[in-house]
Amino acid sequence: MPVSAFRLPTSSTSDARLIANRVLITLLCAGWLSAWLLSFATLSPNRLAAGQAVMLRDAASEWQFAVMLVLTGLLTVAAFKRPLPRALAHAVVLLASLGLLLVTLYSLGDYAQRALADTSSAARISQGAAFWVIVFCCALAAIDTFQRTASGWLLRLGYMLIAGGSVAMLFASGHFHDLSIMREYANIRDDFADQLITHLVLVGAALGPALLIGIPLGLLAHRHMRLRGALFSVLNFFQTIPSIALFALLIAPLSALGNAFPLLGEWGIKGIGAAPAIIALVMYALLPVVRNTYAGLKGVPPATVEAARGMGMTARQVLWRVEIPLALPVMLSGLRIVTVQAIGLTVVAALIGAGGLGAFIFQGLGQYAIDLVLLGAIPTIVLAVIADFTLQMLVVLSKPAGTRR
Amino acid sequence: MSIGALTHPPSSRRFLLIAHSALLIALVLGMEQLAPMFRALFPDQDPAMYQRESFLNLTLAHLALVLLSSLISVSVGVAAGLFVTRPAGREFEPLVSTLAAIGQTFPPAAVLAIVVPIAGFGFVPTLVALVLYGLLPVVQNTVAGLGTVPSQTLEAARGNGMSTWQILWHIELPLAMRVIIAGVRVSVIINIGTATIGSTVGATTLGTPIIAGLVGNNLPYVIQGAILVGLLAIVTDLAFERLERRFSFGEEGNAA
Amino acid sequence: MIELQGLTKCYGDTRVVDDISLTVEQGEFCVLIGPSGCGKSTTLKMINRLIAHSGGKVLVGGDDVTTLPPERLRRRIGYAIQSIGLFPHWRVADNIATVPRLLKWPASRIAERVDELLALFQLDTDGLHDKYPHQLSGGQAQRVGVARALAADPDVLLMDEPFGAVDPLTRDALQVELSRVHRQTGKTIVFVTHDMDEALRLASRVALLNGGQLVQYDRPAELLVAPANDFVRDFIGRADLGLKLLSRRRVEEYSRAAQRTRNNALASASITWQVDADDRPMALLGGRLGEPDTARTVVTPEWTATPDMSMKEALSRMVWFRVTALPVLDSEGRLLGEVTMSGVMGHRP
Repeated sequence: MPVSAFRLPTSSTSDARLIANRVLITLLCAGWLSAWLLSFATLSPNRLAAGQAVMLRDAASEWQFAVMLVLTGLLTVAAFKRPLPRALAHAVVLLASLGLLLVTLYSLGDYAQRALADTSSAARISQGAAFWVIVFCCALAAIDTFQRTASGWLLRLGYMLIAGGSVAMLFASGHFHDLSIMREYANIRDDFADQLITHLVLVGAALGPALLIGIPLGLLAHRHMRLRGALFSVLNFFQTIPSIALFALLIAPLSALGNAFPLLGEWGIKGIGAAPAIIALVMYALLPVVRNTYAGLKGVPPATVEAARGMGMTARQVLWRVEIPLALPVMLSGLRIVTVQAIGLTVVAALIGAGGLGAFIFQGLGQYAIDLVLLGAIPTIVLAVIADFTLQMLVVLSKPAGTRR
Repeated sequence: MSIGALTHPPSSRRFLLIAHSALLIALVLGMEQLAPMFRALFPDQDPAMYQRESFLNLTLAHLALVLLSSLISVSVGVAAGLFVTRPAGREFEPLVSTLAAIGQTFPPAAVLAIVVPIAGFGFVPTLVALVLYGLLPVVQNTVAGLGTVPSQTLEAARGNGMSTWQILWHIELPLAMRVIIAGVRVSVIINIGTATIGSTVGATTLGTPIIAGLVGNNLPYVIQGAILVGLLAIVTDLAFERLERRFSFGEEGNAA
Repeated sequence: MIELQGLTKCYGDTRVVDDISLTVEQGEFCVLIGPSGCGKSTTLKMINRLIAHSGGKVLVGGDDVTTLPPERLRRRIGYAIQSIGLFPHWRVADNIATVPRLLKWPASRIAERVDELLALFQLDTDGLHDKYPHQLSGGQAQRVGVARALAADPDVLLMDEPFGAVDPLTRDALQVELSRVHRQTGKTIVFVTHDMDEALRLASRVALLNGGQLVQYDRPAELLVAPANDFVRDFIGRADLGLKLLSRRRVEEYSRAAQRTRNNALASASITWQVDADDRPMALLGGRLGEPDTARTVVTPEWTATPDMSMKEALSRMVWFRVTALPVLDSEGRLLGEVTMSGVMGHRP
């Protein structure tokens, strides 16, 4: 019996319900409650002093607040069973939540411009908790709608590009120029670009060797059963050790190596910096790469491989023409796990002097400069989410046409 | 695919667990005895042994942080997982699952950093970050574990006259337990690591000597902290592996 | 021609194939059959060296298979297994073209050959050429599998339970089709199955294996009438041995001259057919069990026979319609003769 049979009672009761979308109602309540109770922005006299809370009603101008009211009104109507038909309601949710996101962002920037026009230039305006909650709820409403409509990835990609593009345009126009975090950014603009590149280079430098070593190891694990147990034990061991401990434990042997062979030291093989970071990242990356290569190959039906051999393919032809194409999606989801993981672990690598966006986080924590912390943390999260989304697309596209269902 | 299925047979894993536990306890209690060794290895470091706090205290503080956060994560996470798999909460299931999946792409260190503006410095922000991050694998695996219970099994249970609660307690939870524990394992292991970084926001953990060593350029401190926290993670992982095995009913975990 | 000479396969101390010797002549359809674990699949796979043999010899077309590199050998021998063996990431045409591509045929020749095979297997309809295996029905997938095995025009075709995973109706159709292709192409086929009906239907020779040993290698009819021992008799199925035999016999072998009359009058014989002016049977006079010899039964198409019908089916019709004789008709419906219950009993197998 299909699973759906057990879900029937739910859907039949939902027919009788007035509210069609309880998720949306929950999100709307959360949004309004936060706007009512939490600060939308904080106004502080200087970079490090504590601020004073500003509520949404006071921060937003008349027209901005009116637009927010209209959009949330639309969303509320869309959450009910009547009068909007389902398809229209979904479209309304997608458009209204994007609109609400943009007007929220706009009014924050606008408030900063107006408020700073008549105070000292040292004053700072930061985003408050309510701002984050509203932005978060908008994103969740859109994600939930995409899942309800089971829409294809092309529509999702389009929506994400439009949303990302409009937010990027707001940033590019200098609208947020007076926000505290953007002022902080202006101070470190060149350094930021450098660290972002360092971050990406570290991730790339770790992924290359991880794939070069990991894929053959996965192949070996698939071919030789005896090797498998020991190999996975060792790799799981690496993965279990906390990142900072692994980074730290590599410092001693590498500095000894750098001291013993000065030439190596000149090449950058020394205790702190990029060398231990990359080695540790590779050690972490090996388990997912090897495991997914192995799982992908194991997933190829034995009968398919036997047919290929029976047709007269050589071992190499079987590997390249049959096994690897069929295992590719699983192997790529391994790459996705590893990439996202490496972006996150590189943050910690800043502690051993490897640089990257983590440098801002730890520098900011040391100086109690919250904006600096966020300048490190938010781009890292965005980077990880983008990498995850892109590689997920690649996994879908890599499925051979014949096996994509 | 669980790693347990791919690694060594249970007997040798049990030996590994006992050996590593013994080593961990010995080092926590007797690290000071190794002072001469560290002095010999790092003659120009003075002091060559972290002494601002005993390693026992650091380990207990670390464990307290991880245990408390895991306790909260597991209770909230399993409850949330149960809610979204019951008829009343099923509408929230896709959103919660997606949230758990996207949330896990966030770097733990970044989550820790983002909590600081909200919760300040010290024990509390670290605890909040650990709870938030630890929730995700628990929720995800609870939903996945309950989803793997075959619908025929549920139908049989209903056909035999079991009530909804009896089905949940006697059928669904026991069958989902292995997957749920696998989620808790991931959550706890990540939290042991994140708690280490918690020392950068002022929590006292085994990361404290590591950070102190990195800042003060004192390699022995770094090694002492790193070895202990590495062992702690490995012992925990091995213990969870055994626990998982206990809850597998003729599945891969048992066969391997 | 395929020759197995004392072929043996050992795994450790167990002999899964034990000293098998048999010859499959050119154009023969040889079926290897036996209970699970009897070594039939292993024997088949030793012919194209998917499994290496531990003793004895395999000759294909007179050449010892070990003298060729295994890949070259396999490209000369067709190989078909259950539909799951199709490459899921390749279209039907690509799947069929597998071996010609390995042999580096020019593209135009490959395309030509693919079309030829699609036509041979009646797959040249509704864009099947560009479909992926998962879009095919079970029967279509099997035919693609066999077409793929024939692509490079090998003299020998090895088939390992190719119809194991399809429903009985499709299986019937596939068997008819394979028989036709065998007749049309004259290939030498070695076919593994565990289904005795399939074996009797397809084989020109059956090799019955048990515990790795060859128990009997004979024509299907011989196997039925002269089983070598009790194992053979059990395996064929003692209960319906007679019916199995009849399924190999055709009505024309049992047909005899019929007594005709143009009116209602009963002739001298107990079974008489009343025919019309065109010699088409209209009614059976007598010949009904439990009724007087004078009973008149109107002939309906359901209880007539044709010369190429199997005797099993003819007998079944007699039983079902409770008559002791069936009229044997030609394609125009004219009376050729009759088959009778007593004729079935009287005929020596």
